[in-house]
Amino acid sequence: MIGRIEELAGQTLGRVREAGTPEELEAVRVEVLGRKGSLAEFGKLMGKLSPEERVAAGKALNSAKTSLEAAYELKKTAFESAALEARLAREWVDLTMPPPGIVPGSLHPLTRIQNEIESLFFSMGFAALDGPEVETEFHNFDALNIPPDHPARDMQDTFWLEGGHLLRTHTSPVQVRGMQRLGPPLRMIAPGRVFRNEEVDPSHEHTFYQLEGMMVDREVSIAHLLYFMKTLLGGIFGREVTVRLRPGFFPFVEPGFELDIQCMVCGGEGCPVCKHSGWVELLPCGLVHPNVLRAGGINPDEYGGFAFGLGLTRLVMMRYLIDDIRWLQSGDLRFLKQF
Amino acid sequence: MKFSYQWLSELVEDLDIDAQELARRITLHTAESEGVEVHGTLLKGACPATVLSVEPIANSHNGKAEVETEAYGRKTLVCGAPNCREGLRTVYVPLGVKRVSGIDSDGMLASAAELGISGDDEGVLELEGELNLEADTIIEIDNKSLTHRPDLWGHYGMAREVAAVLGKPLVDPVSLEMLPQGPGAVGVEIREYGLCPRYTAQLFEGVKVGPSPLWLQYRLESIGLRTINNIVDVTNWILAELPQPTHAFDADKIRGRILVRRAEEGEKLLALNGEEYVLTAEDLVIADEGGAIAIAGVIGGKDSAIGPETTRVVFESANFHASAVRKTSARLKLRTDASMRFEKAQDPHNTLRAIARAAELFELVSPGVVAVGGPTDVHGELAAAPVIPLDLGWLKRKLGREIEKQEVIGILERLAFGVADEGEALAVTVPSWRATKDISIPDDLVEEVGRMVGYETIPPVAPAMPVTPPPVNLERRFYNELRGVASQQGFTEVYNYSFVSEAQAARLGVPVEGHVRVLNPIASDQGLLRTTLLHGVLKNFEENRKHFDEFRFFEIGKEIHKQPEGLPRELGHLVAGLYAHGGDGVAGLRELQRLARAMAPGMRFEPTAEVRAYEHPLRSVNVYLGEALVGRIFEFHPRWMEEGRAAVLDLNLGPLACAMAGIAKQYQPVRRYPASEFDLSVLAGERTFAGTVEKALGSARGEAVERIEFLTEYELPDGRRSLSFRVTVARQDRTLTQEEISAQREAMIGAIREAGFELR
Ligand SMILES: [Zn+2]
Repeated sequence: MIGRIEELAGQTLGRVREAGTPEELEAVRVEVLGRKGSLAEFGKLMGKLSPEERVAAGKALNSAKTSLEAAYELKKTAFESAALEARLAREWVDLTMPPPGIVPGSLHPLTRIQNEIESLFFSMGFAALDGPEVETEFHNFDALNIPPDHPARDMQDTFWLEGGHLLRTHTSPVQVRGMQRLGPPLRMIAPGRVFRNEEVDPSHEHTFYQLEGMMVDREVSIAHLLYFMKTLLGGIFGREVTVRLRPGFFPFVEPGFELDIQCMVCGGEGCPVCKHSGWVELLPCGLVHPNVLRAGGINPDEYGGFAFGLGLTRLVMMRYLIDDIRWLQSGDLRFLKQF
Repeated sequence: MKFSYQWLSELVEDLDIDAQELARRITLHTAESEGVEVHGTLLKGACPATVLSVEPIANSHNGKAEVETEAYGRKTLVCGAPNCREGLRTVYVPLGVKRVSGIDSDGMLASAAELGISGDDEGVLELEGELNLEADTIIEIDNKSLTHRPDLWGHYGMAREVAAVLGKPLVDPVSLEMLPQGPGAVGVEIREYGLCPRYTAQLFEGVKVGPSPLWLQYRLESIGLRTINNIVDVTNWILAELPQPTHAFDADKIRGRILVRRAEEGEKLLALNGEEYVLTAEDLVIADEGGAIAIAGVIGGKDSAIGPETTRVVFESANFHASAVRKTSARLKLRTDASMRFEKAQDPHNTLRAIARAAELFELVSPGVVAVGGPTDVHGELAAAPVIPLDLGWLKRKLGREIEKQEVIGILERLAFGVADEGEALAVTVPSWRATKDISIPDDLVEEVGRMVGYETIPPVAPAMPVTPPPVNLERRFYNELRGVASQQGFTEVYNYSFVSEAQAARLGVPVEGHVRVLNPIASDQGLLRTTLLHGVLKNFEENRKHFDEFRFFEIGKEIHKQPEGLPRELGHLVAGLYAHGGDGVAGLRELQRLARAMAPGMRFEPTAEVRAYEHPLRSVNVYLGEALVGRIFEFHPRWMEEGRAAVLDLNLGPLACAMAGIAKQYQPVRRYPASEFDLSVLAGERTFAGTVEKALGSARGEAVERIEFLTEYELPDGRRSLSFRVTVARQDRTLTQEEISAQREAMIGAIREAGFELR
């Protein structure tokens, strides 16, 4: 019997190794190793043997089973990996092709810069406020210490509306609205659309964007204003900037300043961009005029503040080297898709 | 405003920096310089010369002249001036040899215009006496930075600043000893001191009217004022110097005394510029017994003007109310050098100084002139010089740096403030020319001290303040989230204008009455404020389809709606537009629906009975979130978009924000028991809305219904559509029985039948 077992094992081993397909291999497994297979048949015959013979035949049977099973597993794995290889080989994809579906659009450059500056100010504790685009004369002028006969109220600068209203000529009216809403001490900014009755050309627009900023506290000095402006501009331009203040007249601040930054093109040496002065005018600012604090319901004997106005449109043009302001509100996607 | 460097250097002793540097210092300490420019360039190297002979050149209107120059010897040159003649004394400019009309021409003879002396370019300058003129440098100061400084509209005021900045002595051009003495010879009455606080007049006799000397012409020309005659030029000199505007009348053309009064309604005046102005009772005039002879502070009349025959002059040096002058000048659209200065609120104390200066200058330009008596000086009560307390501790807190008391006092005194030392504080008396509107509170003095020490001496300092998170602007944040979604979904952001025309409103059928009207629009087609963002959308479609076959864009902006009273309502809207040149347009509408759902997943779409002319009649739908109507999706009617397909999503962001805030974001436990599903296919008419069928299904929605989903649409040969829905039912606490599921299914089938549909 042992001889027959070994003979079967030998033959089967050959068949396993030579099986050409997984199906063929499976057939051999069922025929020999299956529950009703040849080896199982041998097992049934064991009972008829003497104890000594039984031990020897059992050993032979087990060893045949073990080696056949191992050979089977080996062959099966070989078939599986061959199949996998074949699948992988078929599955070539050209991943250099652009993906189908939506190509994302873009945000307007003014939105981008507003968001950037807003988060910069948020990190410094400034709340972002909004105000109406149509304003009262009071908020746009009177409350900002611009008296009725001030030249700034001339027809030529302001879009006047029926009902005595106007399109705000600056974001400064939000100063007063902000003071009334937040109360002192406060730190706020107000970005938004403003209007001036100006002929449109490559560098002038009747509709543009500003960002007003204001801080009111017990003691606010020019030194504090300088600190915030330097920090802010460093954030906007992504590097240390050199700033200077010089006198500037704006009725809602006293003293009032023009803030210049050292020209970033020439580093202050002088070049066409800075008209050879080494400096570029960037924003008006100053200490809040006591009359403006009063209009905002704040006692100027107890509180002081600084305020500034940043021309967002101008900043966008500087940032992206846009040479014609009219692109910004052209709605022209050839321009807008670049951002 | 133009400032002559030569003039300033006459008023500031020992001015030892060049014009470029001076302009820089003025910018840093006083007012913004817009640049410097050389005036009278040709004067460099120019010298007097006498024409020895002139002979004609064949075939040329030019002549060949031999000239004897004072500095360069004899020269031969070509000259085309009609007045170039033998014996003429003129000015020679060495320019090197140039071939002109076939002749080597060495240098040129110059006209007054070429030399920068006047506008006269009719011929070469006819020189009497010496040529004592040198090239000057003009510093241009931005007028806007001078609006609050009446004193800086003249060289003397600017010289005071320069002297203070550089620490040099200031030279006063006025010597009050020159003020004529005696009783006034001119009769003056002021009717309204409110509009004319002071009127000073001086009579001069023995006047000879003629051209001004070259130095006077040259100075005026250099700062952009034109020479008229010696008398008028003196008034302009004083205007540009003190800067008191003055006026010279021909005394023999004034009838009786001078009356300063309001104009009569409709009163007319023929002005010096040849224009006739019709006045109102708002305007102030200078009148004689026959009527108006000048518009106060703006312009003189032609009839009383100085002419060649004038021998007696009434010289007016008055002070007029700033805003009255501004109003008149604005209404007449007539801005003059005088009105520009009066608008800034001139110093009423300056009128007598101008008379003294005039007496001195008249003597120079018209020797032998005699002042008759002294000035007639009529004025109301003039305001006393204000005294402002300046607390030195407070000053330090405002500036952010300490300044020694003595330095503060020095600065203020150099700027002509009176200072009394009161220990911790100073009592500061404001000079009259700064008191008219410029300086009235201590904060104004902070500026004086700050700008003089130089703001560059103030170090930046971080304020000590509590670290608190600022309140979040939820609206801005919401808008930015929407922007992010729209751009990620393929839409590019545009910004459109707020102005629209009546034609645009009519085109979309928007009632014109609902618009806020601009009273002074930039153009007649921009006279209304937009009540919808669709105008911009339409324009964006029309413009961009020239360049793209397919495109997407969006805008977030404000609709502005007129209200019966108060400010208009401003409504934030988002509009998104999608254009496709080809196709049936359905994909575009679907994409906008997807965009809406990307913004708020619960957005649903319901048919609307409202007809809008510009919409495709069968392609518009209202957008809801919860129960709130938040917008609309539609395709433009082919009459509005004759080529291609243009689909629009318009969302009203106020209600949308509210609806989104109302959606509770709360965790629901994950079900532990399996759900069951059943599908229902409903036969619907050709144009039955899936939404209507879904609503019918929903009406039978039992407690266990988790969701109802639209699956597919299938068109039958007879034109009807089969709409399939999948209903998912489940319970949190147990598995549903087959009976329960069937009951739900039956209930829904019942509801569908009740709504008039059949099951397929
Ligand atoms: Zn530069």
